[in-house]
Amino acid sequence: MKTSFIAFWRRNLALAELGIATNLEYRFNFIIDAFIQPILTVGIEVLLWIAIFRTAENGLIGGFTEENYLAYAVWAPFLGRIAISWMYESMMVEEVVSGSINTILSRPLTFFEYYLSQTLGYKVVTTVFSMTVPLAVSMYFHLPVYYERLPLMFALVIYYVLLVHTMSFIVATLGFYLTRVRSFTLLKNLTLLLLGGELVPIDLMPKALAEFLLILPFSSGVYIPLAYLTGRGDLNLLWQGFFNVSWALIVCGLISYLLWTKGVKQYTGTGA
Amino acid sequence: MSYAIETENLGRVYKTYSKKEGLLNSFKGFYNREYTEKTALKGASIKVEPGKIVGLVGSNGAGKTTLLKILSGLIYPSSGEAKVLGYQPWRRETEFLKQISILLGQKNQLWWDITPRDSYSLLTKIYDLDSKASAKTVNDLGELLQCSHVLDTQLRRLSLGERMKMEIIGSLLHNPKVLFLDEPTIGLDIVAQTTIRNFLEQYVKDHKPAIILTSHYMDDITHLADQLLLISQGQIVYDGSVDHFISTTDLKKKLVYRLKNSPEEKEIVYNSQDLPKILSDLAQAGEVVDLKVEEVDFEDVIHRFLATESRTR
Repeated sequence: MKTSFIAFWRRNLALAELGIATNLEYRFNFIIDAFIQPILTVGIEVLLWIAIFRTAENGLIGGFTEENYLAYAVWAPFLGRIAISWMYESMMVEEVVSGSINTILSRPLTFFEYYLSQTLGYKVVTTVFSMTVPLAVSMYFHLPVYYERLPLMFALVIYYVLLVHTMSFIVATLGFYLTRVRSFTLLKNLTLLLLGGELVPIDLMPKALAEFLLILPFSSGVYIPLAYLTGRGDLNLLWQGFFNVSWALIVCGLISYLLWTKGVKQYTGTGA
Repeated sequence: MSYAIETENLGRVYKTYSKKEGLLNSFKGFYNREYTEKTALKGASIKVEPGKIVGLVGSNGAGKTTLLKILSGLIYPSSGEAKVLGYQPWRRETEFLKQISILLGQKNQLWWDITPRDSYSLLTKIYDLDSKASAKTVNDLGELLQCSHVLDTQLRRLSLGERMKMEIIGSLLHNPKVLFLDEPTIGLDIVAQTTIRNFLEQYVKDHKPAIILTSHYMDDITHLADQLLLISQGQIVYDGSVDHFISTTDLKKKLVYRLKNSPEEKEIVYNSQDLPKILSDLAQAGEVVDLKVEEVDFEDVIHRFLATESRTR
């Protein structure tokens, strides 16, 4: 048992390294993903909120100051990038649809862990680089950010990435049943973007809608961790985020298990 | 006798969406789809002993790859039973997967963006192997296959022949007890084909794995295989020795040539022993400007063999 536990970690660390090494091969793509894109999105969000506050009468919107919103605007795209998964989900779908998943199926590892470890490896590295942008802006403008809350915030975000990966796994397993599943990827990512609070803070929405969104797991990707980091929310809100992700993981885990076990039975190994 | 591979009435049926021509039928197919069933494998019963090489021969679409995919656990059968090393393959138990390997000749199984040596290091961890022993295996196999010089070059920068050698090393790294080789020499030049063929011959002598080998090159099969399985339209039509097959079948090849001032290519189907006379006749017929040797169609070979068999019974 001990041996297999060590083997599991050894294998998954190696897969995380593969995720990093593979992406570092494409230097320009990496630079754009880790630096250029965060700088551009933060710049656009900051300009947007500055423009909105020019029209605010008493310098407050929804009870929060311009600095509160700037802090939100600076960190939201950063967390949104971690919480959403386009690249690896596309690769997973392609593996199933094209039949190149055969390489993984014939080896002693699971399709789920193969891509989870690579995703985490890649996200950790890009996060370290891209975090310099919101950190620098927050410090320069003295924005209200509780830096001591970063470790717990990241714990929730990583937990949420596990949920997002499970959703990506569900979309990929649909490839066993359908030839094209891109529309599901689009639908899933739009849901994460709109309901996660990346575009508009959830506390600005109508009260009933905001309360509803806070019991859904999607707010644990951007809004809840960010509210905790910037002081809009407290530790109770963060625990609620952990709880929401937990029940969603159970539901998504069950769905993915059913889809996978039925899907591999009718899989034809196309293209191989 | 305990067999490495044993199957009983193994079958697989594929269901495919059948769409008729035209836009109207595209609309019809949107709400009401018609499916057709195709039997890719039917009642396949085979037995393979440990340490033996079995040549699996058939034309395109005969069911070779389907059989390999079922035996390696990639797909489920529609009917029948199979045991590989005592495991039901499609359950894909870890202990089973650690003891088998499948090499699909036209597919990359190593990682495109990293070097083969990095891929082997990753495989070492996936298969939970000893790092030092694994590195030694890579060096030894690299020398045997004469490709040590490209171990540190990214896979995507290698030629087809070099890539295939790298894939072979990757598939043997964990010393599998059962090996499925699907067209390992396809598309390779004659030198690479011979190197790989000689390597496999030596490897089997040393390590004694059970191998199922499919190939479009009859030379691969006649040089390597101990046992021959002929498959036609999803059914195993011959399971016996290679020697018996060769002695009862004309393993003909096709000589395609073009003479100077002639716009058309011409063909001669011949037996190997007649080649000197044919070349001599050809030289007298005129100046040959293009000449190539092709394997004849496997369905023809199988039909000729079966016809001979039925005559002698």
